Amino acid sequence: MLEVKDIHKSYSGNEILKGVSLKVEKGDIIVILGPSGSGKTTLLRCLNFLERAEKGSIDFDGIHTEFKSATGHQINEIRKRTGFVFQNYNLFANKTALQNVTEGLIVARKVPKKEAVDRAKQALDKVGLSDRYDYYPSQLSGGQQQRVGIARAIAVNPDVILFDEPTSALDPELVGEVLNVMKSLAEEGATMVVVTHEMGFAQDVASRVVFMDGGTIVEEGTPHEIFSRPRDPRTIQFLRRILREDYEYSI
Amino acid sequence: MKLNTDFMIKTFLAALKGIPVTLEITVVTLLLSAPIAFFMALKRLHKKGIGSRITAGYVSFVRGTPIVLQILFLYSLLPSLLNYLLNRVLELDFDVFGVPPILYAFAVFGLNTTAVLSEVFRSALLTVGHGQMEAAISVGLSRRQAYLRIIIPQAMVSALPNICNTTVNLLKSTSLAFMMTVKDIMAIAKVQAAYGYNYIEAYLVVLLIYILLCTLVQLLFKAVERYLSSYKKLVTC
Ligand SMILES: Nc1ncnc2c1ncn2[C@@H]1O[C@H](COP(=O)(O)OP(=O)(O)OP(=O)(O)O)[C@@H](O)[C@H]1O
Ligand SMILES: [Mg+2]
Repeated sequence: MLEVKDIHKSYSGNEILKGVSLKVEKGDIIVILGPSGSGKTTLLRCLNFLERAEKGSIDFDGIHTEFKSATGHQINEIRKRTGFVFQNYNLFANKTALQNVTEGLIVARKVPKKEAVDRAKQALDKVGLSDRYDYYPSQLSGGQQQRVGIARAIAVNPDVILFDEPTSALDPELVGEVLNVMKSLAEEGATMVVVTHEMGFAQDVASRVVFMDGGTIVEEGTPHEIFSRPRDPRTIQFLRRILREDYEYSI
Repeated sequence: MKLNTDFMIKTFLAALKGIPVTLEITVVTLLLSAPIAFFMALKRLHKKGIGSRITAGYVSFVRGTPIVLQILFLYSLLPSLLNYLLNRVLELDFDVFGVPPILYAFAVFGLNTTAVLSEVFRSALLTVGHGQMEAAISVGLSRRQAYLRIIIPQAMVSALPNICNTTVNLLKSTSLAFMMTVKDIMAIAKVQAAYGYNYIEAYLVVLLIYILLCTLVQLLFKAVERYLSSYKKLVTC
């Protein structure tokens, strides 16, 4: 469904993505792992044109777009097909939970107001916030805010949802509620690309795990392949470190 | 020393007639300055281009010179300059010296207020995190829509206290308009005082009127702020 080829991205001469290629099929749950600074966020941001990659291309259902020369129209087409869930939620502070979700429907997609409200309510129900339609972000907990963020992303029916560390700004006791929502989305057949450090989620939900380091994909495979038989020394070292932290955290 | 209360009451009533002029200068100046200042603030946020540098230069020039000096320059130099330009160079028949003095007041106070407000707007726009802009774009809004619907409404709320300050400062500095022969509160009081050298009484009256006006402005802004910032409600449960 979605294929990106050979993305390169530099910041002031510093190459952050050094030719990343990724293929996503409908219904895939791709989890991207990797140490801090390896370019995971940059990769997602390039996919959604929040950053402009210098080189590479993206094919979406056979529609080919070069990152470098993409026109405003092409960018809009790709953004319409992708949803983005941010690490810091980035909810519109002057809008209620419901308005946060309807905004993209009414303003960007010209959905009639009544239909937009219905769809927004469905999305909020799906993330378990049927009793919080009229709350402002400042009145919601972090976990609830992130669930509004997810509702906002799914309400526009994207073909693929990009998650950038959706739980890493949350208090530990709130992580579960957000992961559960993501899990149920996955069970409903949503296509997702998820950057996360939640190894449990990767193991249980991912159809494919991608390990990135230094701006390239080092290794990818099923969760079983990556977690039980990692081949690359960098993957092994990363997993050892992170699983030890998890272990120490749980005791 | 004994205050001449009869005189004070008389002056008070006379000076009240200057309030509309003072308010007119204040309001017109704000209305002229705000849109330009806003545009300048946007220019400065997108750092590229010379627009941003010209704006920055203008702001530091205006803020770095005393307003009294600006008035003196503008009011004594500009008419002669315009006269020369319009009537000699372009050979129009235009009576520069017949221009109502209040227009000069708009110009001087407008120059200043634009500079101050552009800084106010700039920092207010910065208080709204860039993340909300990105989120808006990611759900399909254009930059323009994101500014109008998400960023500006929040920026205005956080700018209100500073806009209030600017307005109060502007209101107070309009008392310099008498230098341009505008008949505002200050000018009327000075004329009254000149008859019998009751300057102390006249200034006390002026002081009182300005305190009242400024307090009213502040109350007004407080009310607007309370109304607009309803989304900042605290968690209630
Ligand atoms: N706007 C920017 N300007 C300059 N350098 C940047 C910018 N954004 C990211 N970088 C650099 O790019 C590198 C990769 O950043 P990125 O945010 O993609 O890493 P990450 O894999 O998401 O890390 P983390 O796990 O900490 O979120 C980092 O070294 C960072 O300093
Ligand atoms: Mg990141």
